[in-house]
Amino acid sequence: MAGTIDEYHATLKILLIGNSNVGKSSLLLRFTEDTFLPKDDVSATIGVDFKVVDTVINGKRYKLTIWDTAGQERFRTLTSSYYRGVQGVILVYDVSKRESFDQLDSWFGELNTYCSSKDVVKMIVGNKVDKEHSRVISRKEAEAYARKMQTLFIECSAKTRVCVKEAFDELVEKIIETPSLWQKKEKQPDNINLPRSAPTKQENSACC
Amino acid sequence: MSLTDLPYAADAESPLTIEELSVLRRQFEKEVKEDDVTTQTKFNYAWGLIKSRRKNEQQLGVRLLAEIFRESPERRRECLYYLALGHFKLGEYTHARDYNDQLLQREPNNLQAQSLKKLIEDKLNREGLMGAMIMSGVVGAIAIGGLYIASLFKDKRK
Repeated sequence: MAGTIDEYHATLKILLIGNSNVGKSSLLLRFTEDTFLPKDDVSATIGVDFKVVDTVINGKRYKLTIWDTAGQERFRTLTSSYYRGVQGVILVYDVSKRESFDQLDSWFGELNTYCSSKDVVKMIVGNKVDKEHSRVISRKEAEAYARKMQTLFIECSAKTRVCVKEAFDELVEKIIETPSLWQKKEKQPDNINLPRSAPTKQENSACC
Repeated sequence: MSLTDLPYAADAESPLTIEELSVLRRQFEKEVKEDDVTTQTKFNYAWGLIKSRRKNEQQLGVRLLAEIFRESPERRRECLYYLALGHFKLGEYTHARDYNDQLLQREPNNLQAQSLKKLIEDKLNREGLMGAMIMSGVVGAIAIGGLYIASLFKDKRK
């Protein structure tokens, strides 16, 4: 790959999660290539997509590895393995889709199950603010939720590029302000989530 | 901010841990035993196998994916993608290209497939170049041999 590792101050791993069709891949495409694909040209992500981005913050170069996970249920088991070693998680919802906001709870559930580090920086991103006319989640409601979950929050539009770069920058800055996240490599436990009839590890032998 | 130039199959190159893969395998084997294998379980296991560094596991993954492709039309797009990735990892680049092209035919704007296409073509070009170099080496050797023999004849004629 281009450049040697030594040139980077640190390599940061960022994960994008959220319901399908909220625009995770579009946010990434806007951030990395400053483009936007019309609705008909967009395909649902298969498993996970991956981009590597260079960014300079306070004169230091960081390598961002951004994992864009599929929102579709069928990939849920697979995506649980991508939480390993993550430093920042972006939870995306669509401001015009109530369901995508309501399901943030279950995304947080997954995140807390698979992220062992309490320090992981979380950010809620309300996408598609260009659809102001069909907005169903007010900024106020989402802000209150973000406060409750103690996460960063921003509204943006991958289509009009409003606040997209700001979202990623803010997340990265917050990660950098949390040296415990990236200065020592943390060993994360293995995690694969089985959707159904998972072989339970021998029940604690019931006798007391 | 800038994008690093060449995409790479980061997903395929990041193997699961032994424990993670064995969770998927156990589930699959359990369902096989019960003669009730769900597509999801099979797909999950195949995906884990493709990500492995071991060739035999990658080959098994490709085999399972090919089965899912035949059995479950609704899973075809992801099967094509992972079949392409699997063959790519096995170094079978023309197979990889065939599967990836099939996906691109269905979804010309699929960015994941477009990026994989670049990777596959890069490998194929390199292989082509190597082939050409070997060929030119052989041709060169024959030419030099020919000149040598010719020079022997010349010497004899003197």
